[in-house]
Amino acid sequence: MSRLIIANRRGHQVLEWDPSVDTEETREAIAEAERIINDARLRGCAVSRKVEGQHVLDTGRFDPAAEEYQIIAPIAGG
Amino acid sequence: MARFFDWLLRRHVELPIAAQQRAIELPWTQRWYHIPKRSAGWDFRAEDYQAARMNARMVAKETLGPDAWNQVRRAGYIDVPSRRFPGLTYRLRIGRRIEVRCRPGVDSPWPFPYLCINPVYPLPEEEFFAHLYLYARDNEDEIIRVGAPQPWDQRLGRTF
Repeated sequence: MSRLIIANRRGHQVLEWDPSVDTEETREAIAEAERIINDARLRGCAVSRKVEGQHVLDTGRFDPAAEEYQIIAPIAGG
Repeated sequence: MARFFDWLLRRHVELPIAAQQRAIELPWTQRWYHIPKRSAGWDFRAEDYQAARMNARMVAKETLGPDAWNQVRRAGYIDVPSRRFPGLTYRLRIGRRIEVRCRPGVDSPWPFPYLCINPVYPLPEEEFFAHLYLYARDNEDEIIRVGAPQPWDQRLGRTF
């Protein structure tokens, strides 16, 4: 399973999909994850991707086969 | 009797809905300026804060990895060495300003020893701590760009 973690005041919420299964539901979830990531980046959020068991900030294109993404809140001083 | 109290509780107290059962909340699509400091909003109750903090701890632990997480729990902080300023270290603590520490003989680029950096929307402290760790380790330039130097330590205003 792949997943997108969305950090918010609830702690976090998760969108999951199985990239190995080609169904309408999977395609919708992948499209939704990509839309959320692109929109978050446009609004100043960062994105991390789990690589070899570790989250690292990532600026690459959305990869539906990635194990895990996470939306990272924009930061401000003061 | 137990059934009566159960009925009474459910009738008068809306039990918190697990985060995963709610529609996904995308905080960057909303404005949060009106929310009081160290609060998640008027609609949040004690049960919501408790659930949010539990959720946050899970993801923070996973984001940091077991070694870094254990270090934070044990020592109360984690040090991230600067790649831009040799001899300088960012000391990150949950829910507090970043402490800038310099080796003897090294001058800090900031006039004060603390950097105040908040998320732009409310987050549980441990969740934001994991975010700050990623910024300090992987995108220090953003820390340098936004950090507001402060002379004293203080809790952050946008986390709870």
